[in-house]
Amino acid sequence: MLSRVAENLYWMARYLERAENTARLINATGQVLLDLPRGALFGWDVLIHVAGLDRLFAQSYSRHDEASIMRFLISDESNPGSIVSCVHRARENSRTLREVLPRLAWERINALYLFVNGRSAHAIDRARRHNILDELIERRQSVVGLLMDCMSHDVAYQFIKLGRYIERADMTTRILDISAAVLVPRHQVPEDPAIGLLWMAVLKSLHAYQMYRRHFAVHVRGADVLRFLLKDPHFPRTVRYCLDEVEGSLAQLPRYGGPLKLVRIAQRRLGGLRLDGLTAASRHEYLDAVQSDLARIHAEISVEYFHQGEQNPAPLEALAAG
Amino acid sequence: MNIQNYPLSGGYDELINADHQPRSSARALFDHLATLTAAELNERRAAVDAAIMTMGITFTIYSDGNNIDRAWPFDIIPRIMGLDEWRRIELGLRQRLTALNLFINDLYNEQSIVKDGIFPREILTSSKNFRPQCAGHMPRFGVWAHICGTDLVRDSDGTIYVLEDNLRVPSGVSYMLENRMLMKRLFPELFELCSILPVDDYTTRLHDTLAALSPRSGERPIIAVLTPGIYNSAYFEHSYLAQQMGAVLVEGSDLVVGTDNNVYMRTIDGLRRVDVIYRRIDDDFLDPEIFRPDSALGVPGLMRAWRSGNVGIANAPGAGVADDKVVYTFVPKIIRYYLDEDPIIPNVPSYLCMRDDEREFVLANLDKLVVKPANESGGYGMLIGPRASERERAQCKERVCADPRNYMAQPTLLLSTAPTLVGDGLAPRHLDLRPFVLQSENHYVTMGGLTRVALREGSLVVNSSQGGGSKDTWIVEARN
Repeated sequence: MLSRVAENLYWMARYLERAENTARLINATGQVLLDLPRGALFGWDVLIHVAGLDRLFAQSYSRHDEASIMRFLISDESNPGSIVSCVHRARENSRTLREVLPRLAWERINALYLFVNGRSAHAIDRARRHNILDELIERRQSVVGLLMDCMSHDVAYQFIKLGRYIERADMTTRILDISAAVLVPRHQVPEDPAIGLLWMAVLKSLHAYQMYRRHFAVHVRGADVLRFLLKDPHFPRTVRYCLDEVEGSLAQLPRYGGPLKLVRIAQRRLGGLRLDGLTAASRHEYLDAVQSDLARIHAEISVEYFHQGEQNPAPLEALAAG
Repeated sequence: MNIQNYPLSGGYDELINADHQPRSSARALFDHLATLTAAELNERRAAVDAAIMTMGITFTIYSDGNNIDRAWPFDIIPRIMGLDEWRRIELGLRQRLTALNLFINDLYNEQSIVKDGIFPREILTSSKNFRPQCAGHMPRFGVWAHICGTDLVRDSDGTIYVLEDNLRVPSGVSYMLENRMLMKRLFPELFELCSILPVDDYTTRLHDTLAALSPRSGERPIIAVLTPGIYNSAYFEHSYLAQQMGAVLVEGSDLVVGTDNNVYMRTIDGLRRVDVIYRRIDDDFLDPEIFRPDSALGVPGLMRAWRSGNVGIANAPGAGVADDKVVYTFVPKIIRYYLDEDPIIPNVPSYLCMRDDEREFVLANLDKLVVKPANESGGYGMLIGPRASERERAQCKERVCADPRNYMAQPTLLLSTAPTLVGDGLAPRHLDLRPFVLQSENHYVTMGGLTRVALREGSLVVNSSQGGGSKDTWIVEARN
């Protein structure tokens, strides 16, 4: 497999994952905001913090109102993290992959792009947003399902999985960090009902609410949500699950030693975490560290598979038989 | 949908004769169309358009600094030709490419055609596409142009002519294949009613043509399609062909030539040897060591590897020397010289501006002729005399006088037409036909080819970059 192709597969998967996660996050936040009293402790701009895009947003927007934030996150082509940009890039990546992907995958990604391009402007409007983003999620899931069922689970597929799960783990930590991004007024106790709603939003944005209640706890408490979304081995959006998937995919690639070592470091950090009595500040610090672990795994994969051998075209003979 | 009101344009129509009757090869089609209402037909057309968008059958045009993906304009009324006529054309195309390959090989080796006074040396020395770096090389089978797209047109008297030979990086074959797939999806019943010969084996034959160039025998050769990248207008085709052939789609930066003069591609397992490259980039950009040093599209050292016989390249570097509208005028002589046969398909009569008397004639008749530069493609730089303004003709005259070697002229042919769905009815639109011809160990000619159609009323320009579209092309067996 060509290094460039591997890299494009990886990024295609990351962009699709990011687009879907952003759509989920917006929908879940929208639902929760409806329940909050006017002037409540968090608003739409939390989503910009979560995405780590505060500076970019400030450059082109002066108002922090819903419409501006929605435009920025959904349809703004100058924001590389917007849904439109992610789907566009995923499509451009998959266009170079037509000989690797099942033909139908390209058609569906292309159709997803056409859909997003045609509808994203309408999604600014609250009344239509939910349905449009829901359809986007559904279409993206159909791409995932198609790849799962109609593509050989070969090396190419492993790169798709690497991109998907690294992006997903990263997004999960960012969503968990949502609570650190919210300025909690001193007089409010941690179990304030509004805080409960916020943690519920966190779970819902990951479609984890139902599974959390079924397998983990009836009450939505910060420490429990954190424990579930970081450490649960079965729910496919937890950091633990994602890291296990990354580990499994790496094991099927050549020369996995370097990246795998970094996955183990991240896994150990998860295992060692004590959640009881964690302050908001130390939680933020911890999630930051997990994000750095993920970034290092990404960098190592990049060096090992995407850009290796660029400096030294010789010696060659040993490899020619391959 | 009936054809009684079909406004024949006075030229030759491919499907309908002067008495407003379908030609015999098209009768089954029109019998069927007669059972469909205009609304039904438009519904099918809308379904085709939707399929084209979803499948992403596009070509890219560069405009205002942006690359725009345009849907491939497709007309649902096919262009039909009888098998008897096609067989003769097929022979003619084979004959032509065989002779052209002998010619190219001769130019880079003995140059006997020049020594024998058949082909003027000054044309060779002033040729933009003659590559002295290729001289003395003999590719496998002596073949340089492995893939040729030959443009055919039919004049008003029904004669089919060769308009040009595209020997550099001819494109369009994927659209021929996709057009057929669209027609099968949308009009499956027609494939039962008419005996339409299949076109699908092209990619297999292309694969075999390329595989025969592999320097390593006894192994499954690694074939790479070398593309300039995603922003090239034919990128869709490059990826399509790679996918269909099971080849690897590569960009220049994916390849590297080792100190052993072998070509390798960068893979996640390290470097892997490449045996054959189907390149879709021009000579100029192929190897910055030899050609344009600023090329970022090519592969440094590729020519070394090719000359060492370690990699097959199709079409071979330098093959474009015969893809020149001035060289074109010599093709009938080339066929006679190498094969001792008369050309089966005639050339369009042409005037060479490098010859004083012919140039005089051309300049005196600019309002009647089509003037073409030797090396442009896509219809660029061409003057269609009868439709040009006084000013355009004057500018053309200046260009010709400044560089006569670079221009030739032909009478303006009234290209044949075929019924095309326009609004709710059928209207004649001009078209041409580009069959694809393969040659390495064996010959192969596509069954039909890509029919390109000028969608604007009266227009003679069929290029997709200039408002052209396409039709499915049917070669049908006669039925009794």
